[in-house]
Amino acid sequence: MSSLIGYYSLIFGVGISILVIFFSIKNFNDTQNLDTKIISLVFLQLLFVIISFSGLILSFVNSDFSNETVFNHSHTTKPLFYKISGTWGNHEGSLLLWLLVLTLFIFVFLLKSKNQPNQYRILTLLFQQIIILGFFIFLIQTSNPFNHIFPVPKEGLGLNPILQDPALAIHPPILYLGYVGTSIIFSSALAAVCSNNITKIWASHIKKWVLVSWIFLTLGILLGSIWAYYELGWGGFWFWDPVENVSLMPWFALTTLLHCVLVLEKKLILTSWVVVLSIATFTLSMCGTFLVRSGILNSVHTFANDPERGLYILIFLFILIFLSLFIFLIFHKSENNNTKTFYLLSKETSILVNNWFMMYFLSVVLIGTIYPIFLEVISFQKISVGPPFFNKLILPFLIPFMLAMAIGPKLKWIKSDVEDKTYLILFFIVSLILSILIIRNLDINFLYNTILITAAFYLFFITLRDFFHAKYRNLSQILAHFSFSILILSILFNNIFSSEVITNLKINETYQDQNLKINFESIKQENKQNFKAIKGKFTVEDQSGSIEVMQPELRIYNQPNIVTSEADIKTNIFTDKFMTMNYVQNQDYFNIRYQVKPFMIWIWISTILLCFSGTLSFIRKKYES
Amino acid sequence: MNILKFFISVILLINFFSSDLKAKNLGTKITKNLRCLICQGQSVYDSDSEFANSLKILVEKKLDDGLNEKQVYDYLKNKYGDWILYDPEFNKNTYFLWLLPILMFVFGGAIILRKVILKKKKL
Repeated sequence: MSSLIGYYSLIFGVGISILVIFFSIKNFNDTQNLDTKIISLVFLQLLFVIISFSGLILSFVNSDFSNETVFNHSHTTKPLFYKISGTWGNHEGSLLLWLLVLTLFIFVFLLKSKNQPNQYRILTLLFQQIIILGFFIFLIQTSNPFNHIFPVPKEGLGLNPILQDPALAIHPPILYLGYVGTSIIFSSALAAVCSNNITKIWASHIKKWVLVSWIFLTLGILLGSIWAYYELGWGGFWFWDPVENVSLMPWFALTTLLHCVLVLEKKLILTSWVVVLSIATFTLSMCGTFLVRSGILNSVHTFANDPERGLYILIFLFILIFLSLFIFLIFHKSENNNTKTFYLLSKETSILVNNWFMMYFLSVVLIGTIYPIFLEVISFQKISVGPPFFNKLILPFLIPFMLAMAIGPKLKWIKSDVEDKTYLILFFIVSLILSILIIRNLDINFLYNTILITAAFYLFFITLRDFFHAKYRNLSQILAHFSFSILILSILFNNIFSSEVITNLKINETYQDQNLKINFESIKQENKQNFKAIKGKFTVEDQSGSIEVMQPELRIYNQPNIVTSEADIKTNIFTDKFMTMNYVQNQDYFNIRYQVKPFMIWIWISTILLCFSGTLSFIRKKYES
Repeated sequence: MNILKFFISVILLINFFSSDLKAKNLGTKITKNLRCLICQGQSVYDSDSEFANSLKILVEKKLDDGLNEKQVYDYLKNKYGDWILYDPEFNKNTYFLWLLPILMFVFGGAIILRKVILKKKKL
């Protein structure tokens, strides 16, 4: 029943989409209509999508297996929380969620943009409705979440156990808020081009949307990363996996856009570039969806794939790209260049430098992700592009990038202020000495790592001092750059100082080396709602004699019948202790992996701080100069 | 400033292109750079599958036989194809992969330089 309501709500939603497009064109010059008639239509559309989505959730909660999506991805013994999160843990449901956010955002946009020119608002609505309509048709044609099965099966196939996890339950909605937020930026930029509305007021209005998307995208990537860390059982948090990369690409574009919009808000420069970036950001989000959903990528995340869907998204994507390029080339009037100047040492130039590096990082990730696909199509050669490639091409460039991040935001003052120059040099020497002291006794490439860490420390100290410096209190900017320095520092230290023991142990056996002693104490079995848990108990004694009890777990899920390994992680502010255990085939032994990972929690904290700095910028009324 | 930064990064790139964090154990380093062919998106080192475990033993054995790092990669490449290497080699298949991002960087730098210097001359 709820499936039926859900399905018909979708059909009504399509109808409204067509109505909205029709009325927007018809009443293009009528200022009255938008805030009365059209906005209620948009609200009605949102309502229908909400009903449809609730219908799907209800089908999941009630385990209504006459619905094909529910049958494929749910099971009666699954806990309620994961029944609900299972709604978007699959292709059909996640697209419906996309659609929900699309319609929600355009409604909020209409409410929040009342002081903008009317034509611009209608045009934004129009472009957004084209995207919405595209997604409606995609959903109904190729991935209907409400397909009926007859006869009705008694039991569902269950949700992939590695997706049954709190972080991953909220990861898709948060990530989608970021992805879909870029659609508003896209529509709004095109509308601004068409109605010749690229002004400082537009910049500060669209900045809010850029910030919202950026915050959610950052949070979404963070959640995915945390999940990978404790669920995939190898103790890493980023693998340069294609699906991770496709979420990183819009992030780079969005970060670049954010910096440009901040400039545009104060000076009317770089307008064409902002429009191009807005188009690129949304295109990259769509590409991400296309690459993940089409099953082209070999990855942990390809839980649903179908060539027909891939083809549809590809065609849709091309239409959108051509449409936007067409509009850009026809309507865009580039700014009058002669009045604007770029001084070599100015904030504007430093924004350009930021853009330059961001675009470079983006191109590395983009080329590294899609090049193997092209090569395979063209020459049938299969190659892998993995972490070493990205580390080689990105890490060295972080050095000048971080130096520019430290100095760039305050270039304006440097010219005049001698005291500042002394600090700049002093901090560099301090960072260098600190890095040399840290790296000195380690068996790694001395020069390279020293310079890398020096750059990170430099950014850290400079931004730290900025907090207490009255002259430039652009708090969100300082906090953002400060958190980035902590992020890079903790990633680097985590990389350098992590240690690991991998061994096979039987119960009551002990592993010992000069640093630590691991004793396999016991094992016990527990029956949970939809899995059997086998819990190991280990004591780990390190050099200083402190003893930690670790209890990693193996879970044998009933449906689908999959064994997952749950890490036990002991976290404190300096270091994480991480242990997983796995079966060794046909033996009494368990494979134990014990890792000590310093500064792990700082990777998460710094990213949260980064989001917080975005929030600060969002709630602040005016850009302080 | 820009020119300086640019040269610094190019020099760094040339100097450190081949240098990576030296792993304590060569076997560990090698297996971290190998794709576990039967897993999804995991390295041989991180995987516990039978394939990965047999490959770990194979790599250690080859190292004991006196092969160096490059020879081990070559051996595995001949056996399983390029797909197994996470660190793609620089050859005719991958010229674009390695050089395109660098070209983009140089190109972007040129645009910015032009913009800044031209503007300066106009003054």
